[in-house]
Amino acid sequence: MRIISQLMQIPGVIAAGEYAYRGDRYSFEGNLSAEHARMASILCRSNTLSINMQSEIFSSFAEDCGCKPVQGWIVRGRDTSVCVVGNIFCFCQNTPGLLNDVMTIMRAKVGDIEENPLVYMYAKIGGDVNEKLY
Amino acid sequence: MSLDRLMQVPGVLAAFQYSDKGDLVAHQLREGTELTPQVLDLLAHTCVANMAVATLEARGWEALTGQAGFEPVQGFSLVGLDWSAVVGSNFGVVVRNRDADYEEAFSALGQCKS
Repeated sequence: MRIISQLMQIPGVIAAGEYAYRGDRYSFEGNLSAEHARMASILCRSNTLSINMQSEIFSSFAEDCGCKPVQGWIVRGRDTSVCVVGNIFCFCQNTPGLLNDVMTIMRAKVGDIEENPLVYMYAKIGGDVNEKLY
Repeated sequence: MSLDRLMQVPGVLAAFQYSDKGDLVAHQLREGTELTPQVLDLLAHTCVANMAVATLEARGWEALTGQAGFEPVQGFSLVGLDWSAVVGSNFGVVVRNRDADYEEAFSALGQCKS
């Protein structure tokens, strides 16, 4: 199952998508129009590039300080958060526990989680874990 | 809420306070961390800038799409390779990614007063 579909299985996730680092290709699922998903993709790509540039500056002051390469970023709004890891973005509600779950799934995508977080996550959601994952 | 309290956030490597311009006002570092006050100062400036950009984007997004719930921006996190910087309301923490509890960090920062 694609990471976007996995994210959309989590209650409270509004929309999730994937954008290209170059060009204007994107895909998404959830409560966004195609035009808004296009805008979100551009916004997330722009911010990700900016933050990568900032981490280059950090590393020039403290090499191996543990920042570079940047995995992503989070903006915590009043009721909604935007999470980006790699080239995946996710809009989710600020319901208790949700942000940590979303970040666990998204960081697993870039190989930062050693355990099997997807099995753990689906076990929390309920239902047939094997059917949903495999 | 103080830096001492922020140092109790799970996985925290550093806690810091910064001015509206991003200058480092106070900080505490976990013993053994490779972070330095200079990196924290850069992080603070970065996070102030990113919070401002996020506010601009949130405001624009709400106006363009009609969706609400983004403004006011409560916090921002930069997720690095080994650690994440989480900031909000002139305070910030750096937490190890493997122990990171982002909600706890945002919640603790939300209780900080300058």
